Amino acid sequence: MTCLTFEELKTMNRENDILKWFNGEITTEALKNRYPNEDFSTLEKSQFYSKQFELPQIDAQKALEDFKTRKLKKKTTKVVPLNFKSFLKIAAILIVMLGSSYVLFFNNPTSYSTKIAQIERFNLPDNSEVILNSKSQLSFNRKDWKKNRTLDLQGEAFFKVTKGEKFTVQTGVGTVQVLGTQFNVKERQDYFEVKCYEGSVSVTYASEKTILTPGKTLRIVKGEQVIVKEFNYKNPAWLVQESSFDNVPLWQVIDELEIHYDITISTKAINTSILFSGTFTHTDKNIALKSVTIPLKLSYIIDGNNVEFYNYDSH
Amino acid sequence: MSKPKSQLCEEKHFNSFYLDHIRAVTNFAYYKCGDQSQSLDLVQDAFAKIWENCSQIDFNKAKSYLFTTVNNLFLNVVRHQKVVFTYAKESPYLDQTNLSPEYLLEEEEFKIKLHTVIAALSVEQREVFLLNRMEDKKYREIADLLNISQKTVEKRMSGALKAIREKIKGVNI
Repeated sequence: MTCLTFEELKTMNRENDILKWFNGEITTEALKNRYPNEDFSTLEKSQFYSKQFELPQIDAQKALEDFKTRKLKKKTTKVVPLNFKSFLKIAAILIVMLGSSYVLFFNNPTSYSTKIAQIERFNLPDNSEVILNSKSQLSFNRKDWKKNRTLDLQGEAFFKVTKGEKFTVQTGVGTVQVLGTQFNVKERQDYFEVKCYEGSVSVTYASEKTILTPGKTLRIVKGEQVIVKEFNYKNPAWLVQESSFDNVPLWQVIDELEIHYDITISTKAINTSILFSGTFTHTDKNIALKSVTIPLKLSYIIDGNNVEFYNYDSH
Repeated sequence: MSKPKSQLCEEKHFNSFYLDHIRAVTNFAYYKCGDQSQSLDLVQDAFAKIWENCSQIDFNKAKSYLFTTVNNLFLNVVRHQKVVFTYAKESPYLDQTNLSPEYLLEEEEFKIKLHTVIAALSVEQREVFLLNRMEDKKYREIADLLNISQKTVEKRMSGALKAIREKIKGVNI
């Protein structure tokens, strides 16, 4: 800071006092007393007359009306206030969306299904192989498959299970559990059958546990267990487009025919509980029908999708 | 009382905001440009800007925004025009006891000179000076209104007073 002379200091003080005077901090008299030799008349007059300029005469209401005649547009970035109610609405929608997407995409069981005359082959997340026979449905939870290898099955499927945690197939009537093996599960109307091809299979039916070793079959027909001879083939016949039966009731064979050829088979005066052993192909309807009817001394008539079985003798 | 931002977008609130400030802000514009109709135009433009941007302006800061906008519009549009002030039609004289013709003539002359000097002040000095004189605003209030420091206000005021004292005698009518 530079040094100020006494004169300069005095001027500065006077200027400050004038400022204070205009700011109403000191009165005109006080100022005049403080600086008796100064002439403040110009400033005094200025102070007085500069109050007297004519101000714009504003009719506020009219100005507002004029203003409203302008065509103004609010900028589109209008902010919608976040009131609690709409916040709740949005939150509710989000929760529903998140919840449903969770159910839809994560928690929803993965499911495969086949129609009549269709076979599907696919792998499970652990590379276990599944072949799903016609008109069957299989579902499982992909999300926790590692911890819980459980499937729900309706119909028939062949499994080649990779070794690992317990592998469970649940059906409407019984539960099949294995650790790593190959087996076939068939659950149709009044018919439940598990065949073990490799390893060992534990089947729980009506709270009774049965252990199957390779070549063994557990078959339940109309709620009753049927004893089945050991088999020595490596794969179910249906994997090579055949259906194979050994001492199976005719009605079950008919069901199987209907599933593979999309036909309706009616029977007249035929005992459908007679047992059938043999195979039928999935590729030719006539051959298949013949291979079932001839050994049983039956015949058939085809009428569109309807097939009638009848006793050869009766015609 | 604090009002949320968006309230300015509601016509009701905007209208009351408009009516609250129209006079003061028009005077303010007038101190700057010295033209009545032009000052109102400036103010209407400023209000239009506020209405258009209502969603982005805090209600509590709208007044300051209004004055700033008028200031900016003034700088953009009319800064270089000649400033002309007029006195109120029936303005009183300083000394009401002395109404001799000589005195009255002298005072009229002074008023015209003052008028000329004020019109010749810089815009910054004039607005501070007239806000102080016409509206009896303290320096602190002016500083708040113009968003500048009180020191700046005092500096401008000091400059205005110095200019008046020095120039008023040299004015030829």
